[in-house]
Amino acid sequence: MSTNPGLLKPQKQVGWATWATFIIGALFVWSLIAIEFSPGRMIQVPGQVARVLSFFYPADMAYGWSAVLPAIIESIQIAWVGTIIAAILSLPLALFGARTLFPRIARFVKLISATARAFPEILLAIYFVPIVGLGAFAGALAIGISSVGMLTKLGAEVVESIDFGPVEAVEASGGSRILALRYAVVPQVLPEIVAHWLFRFELNIRASAVLGVVGAGGVGGVLLNTLRYRHFEKAAAVLLLTIIVVLIIDMVSGEIRRKIIRG
Amino acid sequence: MNVAPPKPARNWPLLIGTIAFLVGMTWWSGHGIGFSLTELLCNLAGGQRLLQESWPPDFAFLPRLYGPFLETIYIAIIGTVVGGILAIPVAVLAARNLTLGRVVWFADRNFMNILRTLPDLFWAMMFATAVGFGPVAGALALSVFTIAVISKLWSESLEAIDMGMPEAVRAAGGTWLQMIQFGAIPQGLQHYVSYALYAFELNVRASMVLGLVGAGGIGMILETQRANFEYERVTMIILAVLVAVLLIEQLSESIRKRLA
Repeated sequence: MSTNPGLLKPQKQVGWATWATFIIGALFVWSLIAIEFSPGRMIQVPGQVARVLSFFYPADMAYGWSAVLPAIIESIQIAWVGTIIAAILSLPLALFGARTLFPRIARFVKLISATARAFPEILLAIYFVPIVGLGAFAGALAIGISSVGMLTKLGAEVVESIDFGPVEAVEASGGSRILALRYAVVPQVLPEIVAHWLFRFELNIRASAVLGVVGAGGVGGVLLNTLRYRHFEKAAAVLLLTIIVVLIIDMVSGEIRRKIIRG
Repeated sequence: MNVAPPKPARNWPLLIGTIAFLVGMTWWSGHGIGFSLTELLCNLAGGQRLLQESWPPDFAFLPRLYGPFLETIYIAIIGTVVGGILAIPVAVLAARNLTLGRVVWFADRNFMNILRTLPDLFWAMMFATAVGFGPVAGALALSVFTIAVISKLWSESLEAIDMGMPEAVRAAGGTWLQMIQFGAIPQGLQHYVSYALYAFELNVRASMVLGLVGAGGIGMILETQRANFEYERVTMIILAVLVAVLLIEQLSESIRKRLA
C-alpha cells in the first residue's frame, strides 16, 4: 500500500460479532455431539429423505377427497370458532389493557395476556381433551384461549396509539368514559384490530392442523396415522391439500386485511 | 340552527353481507365441530376431577426432566443455526431489489410461501418417518421451520435497504456476490440477528412439543405421561416448560432490545 498512502484498509477489530459467532459455533457443535448427529449420520439424511419422498408419488387423491378434505374443513372450523372466541374475549381486554386509558387495570390485564401467550395451544389441548372429550370442540377451546393473549397484547398496543382528540371531545361534551370508548376509541381502533383477528385466523389454521396429534380434531391426526401405517400416497394427499388450502386462505385473508387497513 | 355534520353514509349491502357471512360461517363451524355450551357445562364436573388429579404437580419427577430438557435446547440450537444459515440465500433471492432476475425471484418466493404453509409439527412427523424417531428428526424439522420464519421477515427488510451501497459495489466492478456481501448484508445484519433470536424463541417453544410426534426432547416424556393419564406429572412438565420458555424469551428479548 506504499503507492497510495491515502487509501487505508479499515482496521479489523475483534468485536462482539466475532465472539458471538464463536460462542454460537461452539454451542452448535456441542449440540450436534449431544444428540449424536455425527457426520456419518448427516450424509445419510438426504438419501433417507429422498427415499421417503419417492414413496409419496403419486398422491392418493381419492383418499384426499373422501377423507382428507373433510378433516381440513374441520381444521378450518376449529380455527374459525377459536378465533371468534378469542376475538370476543380479547376486545374488552384490549381496551382495558391500554395504559393510556386505564393505567391501573392495564398492568393486571397485561400480566394475564403474557401468561396466556406462554402456553402453546397443543399443551392447552392436552387439558381440554379429557375435559370436553376427544374431538374438535376441545381444539377450538384450546385455540381460543391461547389466542386471547396475543390478540389482547396487539389490541392494547393499537388502542395506546390512538389520537386522543376524539376522546377529549366526548368527555368535554359531558360523555362518560364508556361513551368515549364507544364513540371515540372503538371507531378508531376497529379496522386495525379486525386485521389482527384475520392474521390470527391465518396462524390458527396452522395451529388447528396440528391439534389432531393429541386427539383434538382436524387434519393433524390424519397425517399422523397415514405416516404411522406407512400409507405414503395418502400422506402425500394430506400435505398437498393442506398446502393448497392454506395458500388460498392466506391469500384471501391477506387481501382483506390490506383492504381493511387502507379503509 | 343545526350545525351537526351529516352522518356518514353507510354501505348497507357490504355491512349486511359481512354480518351474514360472519354469522353463517360461525354457525356452520360451530355446528361442524359440535360446539355446545351444555356439553361444556356438563363436562365441567369431569374437568374438576381432572384438575384435582393434576394438582399438586409431582415435584419428585422434576430431576428426570433434566436430560430431555437439555435435548430440547440442543434441538432448538441446531435448528436455529442450520435454518438461519440456509435462510440467507433464500431471503436474498426473494428480495425484489437484490434477486437474480424475475424467474428466480418468482420461484424462490413461491418456495418460501409453500414452506410457510406447513406447521412445525408436520415437518417433524415427516422427518421422524424419514430418518427415524429422535432428536435428529426434530432438529431437521426446526431447520426447515426456521428457514420459513427468517427468510420471510428478512427478505422484507432487505427490500427496504438503501440501494446506494450495492450500486456502488456494482459500479466499482464488483460481482453479484460481492454486491450482496459488501453492499446489502451489512445493512441488513442487525435485522438478521434480531430475527434469528426471534426464531430461536419460537424454536424453543416448538421443540417442547416436537416429542409429541416422536421427534425428541421433553415432549416425548410428556406424551408417555399423558398416555398413562399421569396428570400430576403432566402438570409438572408443563410448568417446567413454561418457566423455561418465559426465561429464554426474557433473555432473548433483552438482547434484541439492546441491538435495536
